[in-house]
Amino acid sequence: MARMSYAQALNEAHRIAMHDDPRVFVLGEDIGVYGGIYRVTKGLQAEFGEQRVLDTPISEIAITGAAVGAALVGSRPILEIGFVDFVGTCWDQVFNQAAKFSYMTDGRASVPLVIRMACGAGLGYGVHHSQSLEAWFTHVPGLKVVMPATPADAKGLLLAAIDDPNPVIFLEHKFLYEVKDEVPDGRYTVPLGKAWMAREGADVTIVSWSGAVPWALKAAEQAAAEGIECEVLDLRSLVPLDEDAIVASVEKTGRLIVCHEACTTGGFGAEVIARVVTRAFDFLDAEPLRVAAPDIPVPNSLPLEAVYLGTRERLLEAVRGIVS
Amino acid sequence: MSLSPQDLKQLFRRLLLIRRFEEEAFRLAVAGKFSNYHGGMGQEAIPVGVCYGLKPTDNTMITHRGLGVLLTRGVPVGEIFAGLYAKESCPTRGRHPIFHMAAPELGILAGTTMVGSVIPLATGAALAARIQGKPDVTISFFGDGSVNRGDFHEGVNLGAVRKLPIVYFCENNFYAKSMPLEASTAGGSIIARAQGYGLPSELVDGNDVVAVYEATQRAVARARAGEGPTFIECLTYRWTPHSTAGDREFSRTAEELASWKAKCPILRLRKQLIEAGHASAEELDAVDIDIQREVAEGVEFAEAAPYAAPEVALENVYV
Ligand SMILES: Cc1ncc(C[n+]2csc(CCOP(=O)(O)OP(=O)(O)O)c2C)c(N)n1
Ligand SMILES: [Mg+2]
Repeated sequence: MARMSYAQALNEAHRIAMHDDPRVFVLGEDIGVYGGIYRVTKGLQAEFGEQRVLDTPISEIAITGAAVGAALVGSRPILEIGFVDFVGTCWDQVFNQAAKFSYMTDGRASVPLVIRMACGAGLGYGVHHSQSLEAWFTHVPGLKVVMPATPADAKGLLLAAIDDPNPVIFLEHKFLYEVKDEVPDGRYTVPLGKAWMAREGADVTIVSWSGAVPWALKAAEQAAAEGIECEVLDLRSLVPLDEDAIVASVEKTGRLIVCHEACTTGGFGAEVIARVVTRAFDFLDAEPLRVAAPDIPVPNSLPLEAVYLGTRERLLEAVRGIVS
Repeated sequence: MSLSPQDLKQLFRRLLLIRRFEEEAFRLAVAGKFSNYHGGMGQEAIPVGVCYGLKPTDNTMITHRGLGVLLTRGVPVGEIFAGLYAKESCPTRGRHPIFHMAAPELGILAGTTMVGSVIPLATGAALAARIQGKPDVTISFFGDGSVNRGDFHEGVNLGAVRKLPIVYFCENNFYAKSMPLEASTAGGSIIARAQGYGLPSELVDGNDVVAVYEATQRAVARARAGEGPTFIECLTYRWTPHSTAGDREFSRTAEELASWKAKCPILRLRKQLIEAGHASAEELDAVDIDIQREVAEGVEFAEAAPYAAPEVALENVYV
């Protein structure tokens, strides 16, 4: 065990993967010499050389397509696109190319690719650098979608994503990069599709992921002081989804709140609720709630951004409401 | 089209306004008053030279760097500082960084953070001017880092094939973040790409405000006459790091920076004005004092300005 930040844990996962598997290489803008905006790839070029840690031109279509193409012939690329907001510039290569090859070719072609992108608000970066777009990816069969909430998961999930033979969208919350915690040493993987019971409780299930997990834990703590016991489930990956863990928890508590940072409409919260209503309707003692952002772009000034992030404060109210 | 001594003094004033603004903005960002400032110090001749002869009905679309276009086109200094502080008293009201503000009455179209995506947008503005039968010309600014994106190639090709009233204006400062031009751009020449699309093109000293002005005027005249786009590549250099968020200027040497500082566009024009007898050193120093006061007042205005009320966050998602 060592205490390190989410960004350092991701850096260590890269280092282990590159050391263990010569097929792994890393590409992106400003990731080599500079080490990436969030320092996740820091030192990798010095250690593994320019052939395996490539600084690329600002050519998102070319680098995404090239990463997919390299994966088709047996490489294991890790592509950094600095912000998930930028994925629009290369979206076709992601959802029409990377996501489809296995299906199109009856499994004869595969794309073992990880695309890392930073998501989330909280730093006052404005409309083009703060969005949470995970739901887009979940709507494309063929992509896996992973969103770690802790340093230990960041490392273990990234190593699992690199091992996975499919294209994995790996979304890192930029507010979490500096968060520090204990991280196990050496190689280990956290399986995709296995939720983490972050807190046990009998009264309310709060399902969350990524940057919303700390909010859920905080709300659970505050609710506990009021005598309400919340169970907090961190999904870790949205695709594959640990539906069984969600259903098991709701069967126990009878109450479901899904809390995510992304906008409400079309958010993945709707999917979670639909699954629970389909499978565990009879166990529900109250109508399920989603606590999520208003349907607005993410504004730049911190007081305005706080409106977008109001979910944090509304979560505790929702917990009180659902038990009353 | 030729510049009178009066014009030259106006250019000097505008250059100096941007410089003093840039110095102050950089200082405030480093002091933590606001985050992540993309300074345009050293590149002032480009916004001034381009915008000086434009009509307010001509449109500009800018990048993330250099607020000089906004200043030269008449956005008040205080509003721009308020934008950096993300306060309400600026045209975005704190919803988005100020560089992509819109002021249609000043010919300032909005912009976008996506490097290069501005090129198709500006091309569309030029297409609409043609369809609407207006004489307006659009200037699409972009950095050297944009020219490897599909948006650059698709946008310039569309403008060229339709002979649209647009000027494609590349501010080549030789780096895109930590990436040097020669490591990112095959063929070694940006302007050669324009020639590939059959566009008339000019390579201009981007630290010579008069040269920038004249090249722009030629390009605008062509566009207005229905002769189609011109591609201008201006060579220049940013004196400050990519942004105040983190130094990544590993491949830039101190000598390189010093050599560009020796080509300061402002000192150059100052020398010209004095040597030609158009202005005395005292007169120009007085301009400087005046500008420094304008900048200081702008900062005061921004510091005192309120943040927008929370409800503002919910407005204008749709018009
Ligand atoms: C499509 C896209 N990719 C990456 C970025 C991140 N980024 C912001 S500025 C920048 C460098 C731009 O360089 P250049 O166009 O030369 O302009 P300069 O900063 O030198 O003025 C990059 C890579 C972005 N904003 N948009
Ligand atoms: Mg540049």
